[in-house]
Amino acid sequence: MLTREEEEEEQEEEEEEEAKGRRRAFSVNDNVDLLAEILGRLDGRSLAVAGCVCRLWNAVGRRDSVWEAVCHRHVAGGGSSAAGGGCSTRSVVAALGGYRRLYRLCIGPALDRLAGSAGGRGSTTTTAEAAAAHHLSLSLSLSLFSIDCYERLGGRQQRPASLLFLCKPVDVS
Amino acid sequence: MSSSFRSDMGTDPYDSVGDDRWIIASASDRGSSRGEIDSLLHGAGYRVRSTDLRHVAIGLEQLESTMVGDQCVASSAEAIHYNPSDLTAWVDSMLSELAPDPHLLRHPLSTAAANTWADPTQQRPSLHRLENHHQHRNVPAVSLQSMDEEEDAAIRLVHLLVSCADSVQRGDSEMAGSLLDQTRLALARVNTGFGIGKVAGYFVDALCRRLYPPPPSATGGGGSAANLEILYHHFYEACPYIKFAHFTANQAILEAFQGHDRVHVVDFNLMHGLQWPALIQALALRPGGPPLLRLTGIGAPSPDGRDALREVGLRLAELARSVQVRFAFRGVAATRLEHVRPWMFQVAPGEAVAVNTVLQLHRLLGDRASPEGGDAAAAEPIDTVLEWIVGLKPKIVTVVEQEADHNKPSFLDRFTEALFYYSTMFDSLEGGRVGGSHRGGQQQQQTVVAAVAEAYLQREMCNIVCCEGAARVERHEPLARWRDRLGRAGLRAVHLGSNAFKQASMLLTLFSGEGYCVEEVAGCLTLGWHSRPLISASAWRADDADDASPPRDHQTLVLQDHSSSITSGSNNVVDGDDHLHQHSVMRSHMGSSDRINDTGSGSSCSRV
Repeated sequence: MLTREEEEEEQEEEEEEEAKGRRRAFSVNDNVDLLAEILGRLDGRSLAVAGCVCRLWNAVGRRDSVWEAVCHRHVAGGGSSAAGGGCSTRSVVAALGGYRRLYRLCIGPALDRLAGSAGGRGSTTTTAEAAAAHHLSLSLSLSLFSIDCYERLGGRQQRPASLLFLCKPVDVS
Repeated sequence: MSSSFRSDMGTDPYDSVGDDRWIIASASDRGSSRGEIDSLLHGAGYRVRSTDLRHVAIGLEQLESTMVGDQCVASSAEAIHYNPSDLTAWVDSMLSELAPDPHLLRHPLSTAAANTWADPTQQRPSLHRLENHHQHRNVPAVSLQSMDEEEDAAIRLVHLLVSCADSVQRGDSEMAGSLLDQTRLALARVNTGFGIGKVAGYFVDALCRRLYPPPPSATGGGGSAANLEILYHHFYEACPYIKFAHFTANQAILEAFQGHDRVHVVDFNLMHGLQWPALIQALALRPGGPPLLRLTGIGAPSPDGRDALREVGLRLAELARSVQVRFAFRGVAATRLEHVRPWMFQVAPGEAVAVNTVLQLHRLLGDRASPEGGDAAAAEPIDTVLEWIVGLKPKIVTVVEQEADHNKPSFLDRFTEALFYYSTMFDSLEGGRVGGSHRGGQQQQQTVVAAVAEAYLQREMCNIVCCEGAARVERHEPLARWRDRLGRAGLRAVHLGSNAFKQASMLLTLFSGEGYCVEEVAGCLTLGWHSRPLISASAWRADDADDASPPRDHQTLVLQDHSSSITSGSNNVVDGDDHLHQHSVMRSHMGSSDRINDTGSGSSCSRV
């Protein structure tokens, strides 16, 4: 149990520290672009979880640019994005529904499925093969995504189900 | 002391009782290291070790089922009598004589497929499939007897079905009717929830419909087009065959359209247009920017005034607009494909044309002429259609067809082929469903989708079994015959390439169910279930597609006829030698595509 004087002393010290901290320290929440850059280096699941931290992180975590980085990083083999011109891809994906949705519907389940089967087969693929596989999975995912977008356009009676065969991940949106 | 009296086999079964008792006493003294002889059985005159009791019991059960259940057990004249008092050896020897499967003797309770004796007389794929099926389902240790009965019943069912079909072919409707009744009884003994039971049920219905056709008013008329679309859509979702077809065809079309900025795709069966969003997206992203894309979709006219084709076109146009691809759509409504004429497409000069037929060309075939009559007999609708396809001078023709021979002249052959083909198909549907996602509501939806997909297949089956003449449209032919036919019409095969193969493999990896396999056969891809190919995709191009001059279809065909007559040894001089020369020069550029089916023109090349 502290005496009253000691409590006051402690409080003063803390305030001093805080003041110093505000002058000197740097919170990542102060700079959202930096935050976005960091979040863009996560994998899909971690990014979705990060969106649950606070409102700021949720807002930043929903940015399509962040998900674009995630998609390209984890699909193009983590190097140069060989998936065609970035600008045109971006506009096409944006028109089809955005990178976040692309990841949620197609790339995420595809990666999970591929990881599952690759784990079963043993990791004997070379990096070139893996990169090629990733590139193919991006183009395949884009194709599937376009089909999904098309089905949603129609507003048909049956709900779009052409991607039913992919295991749908938990919805954390 | 006891060792001198301890003997396991070869002793006289009529030993005096005194000796036996002594042996028992010595055995019990020794303990269980050498295996005691069971005392109760010994009182009855049999020598069995206690440790062998279980093995002997199972062996006896198997023997009973073998001798009672199997009608093929012949009572041979030269019977070798084994000493039954040594029960273990006796059971083993009897089993090895009647059931030559070593696994039975070694592992009597193996649950993996309950490896019953491999009956060499019944090499039917359905039996093999039954075993596979049980393996997949991981049937827990069901007693051997019920497994045998089930397989027996299945074999009997297949046999009855085939006999019924045979009597239908012979025209003996009374016999067919009685066989049909027997089949229904046999059906009751088999599980109709899955496997051979379900397929057999459908075939029984189809045969019934053939023998006792329902009145024409009962069959659906106007609403069937919309229904067919729904069935097709569910079949699209339930299994990867159509997806595989679409993706492979799109890949070939994409590669063929490289470098062209005005392209025209003709789709022989538009349905919901599910193939085209992926192509539109791929064209939007291709290096060099998207071309002007024109799509002509052929479909059935919609009965209730609703222009289904136009609606699909509008949706595709909206998608294309959102990804900034210039797009134009045209719909051609036709009840039958042979009514379509090329002028309806309005192909502009300078356009690169792609023709896409998914499961459509077989509808144009007619009855196959008997081998004696020669195969250039009647002018089938297919020839007309292929003629104007070639006349369009397409850069690529993508053909996807079922890999089965359901157009044989004999009804029995067709029936048997269809039985095996569709049982494999149904297997794959079930296999895909079991491996799919396991979240409650989704699984329910998957079940519904699978059920409707089965209805789609059932429709095909019914058409093969029940209809004849013009009504029979499901005239599937295998890839080899299509190659011949398309080659004769003037199309040259295009190798599908490794990209298409990798894409197909990746698609299957994503798809649940591990039984699917993609294979490449001479530049064409086939997708099958457990090494039975079920659907094949191939790509073709017209001969002088590089030629920028306006289409001269008639001359192209004449060229083909002459070149084939040159090989047959006649001395016809080709009208216009320069044409032939041009032809051969262009052919020398198409190196790899010459491999396949280049009978006539290849050899004429060398002569020139």
